[in-house]
Amino acid sequence: MLQVLAPVPGTAVAMAEVSDPVFAQGMVGPGAAVRPAARPQDAAAPISGRVAKLHPHAFMVLAESGHGVLVHLGIDTVKLDGAGFEKLVEEGAHVEAGTPVIRWNPADIEAQGLSAIVPVAALDADAAVVGSVADGDVAAGDPLFTWS
Amino acid sequence: MAQRRITVQSEVGLHARPAALFVEAAAKSGGEVTVAKGEGQGVSAKSILAVMGLDVRKDDEIVITAEGDDAEQVLDRLAEIADAG
Repeated sequence: MLQVLAPVPGTAVAMAEVSDPVFAQGMVGPGAAVRPAARPQDAAAPISGRVAKLHPHAFMVLAESGHGVLVHLGIDTVKLDGAGFEKLVEEGAHVEAGTPVIRWNPADIEAQGLSAIVPVAALDADAAVVGSVADGDVAAGDPLFTWS
Repeated sequence: MAQRRITVQSEVGLHARPAALFVEAAAKSGGEVTVAKGEGQGVSAKSILAVMGLDVRKDDEIVITAEGDDAEQVLDRLAEIADAG
């Protein structure tokens, strides 16, 4: 079983709470989301593995076991073209769960009229394999959900 | 087997949302469906991990291949998603 950690501090909510239906319906993958605290912060790796894809506003960590987790910082944030996001590691780097990957400030995202919610999706996974989903206040690095 | 070469028009390429729609459409096919970037190695179009891993950006050329009776319809739908996203 893989423990997936909260990448950011804030309030853990069900994936269905995400304003983008593609995430809310679990089409990207099952998992959970975090409404991030409105302050500057580092988004951390939810699992240990290789940063297989690193965009300014999203990243994917691939564990040696083949499990892949996507962390998406806000909705429609690809439109910001990287403004307000600072990459702290290189694509392809190996990270431990909890390693800071991207520095950002959710308050700046919200100020531009976008949702800063952070969906954390288990890729190529059936909804049934996700369990122990956190609900309520979480710190970065707290357990968010399990992947069996 | 049916194959099509298209230039991706989706503003964000095949990233999170279009990737999810792309994979959902491919998964409805009974046969194998693959996608490759340019002349690269094809990957399963039914895996969001594989599709996002290709890192397809706007204006990139992709080659999609489908097998089975509904191959042409599957390719129609995938091309539509790659165009809109």
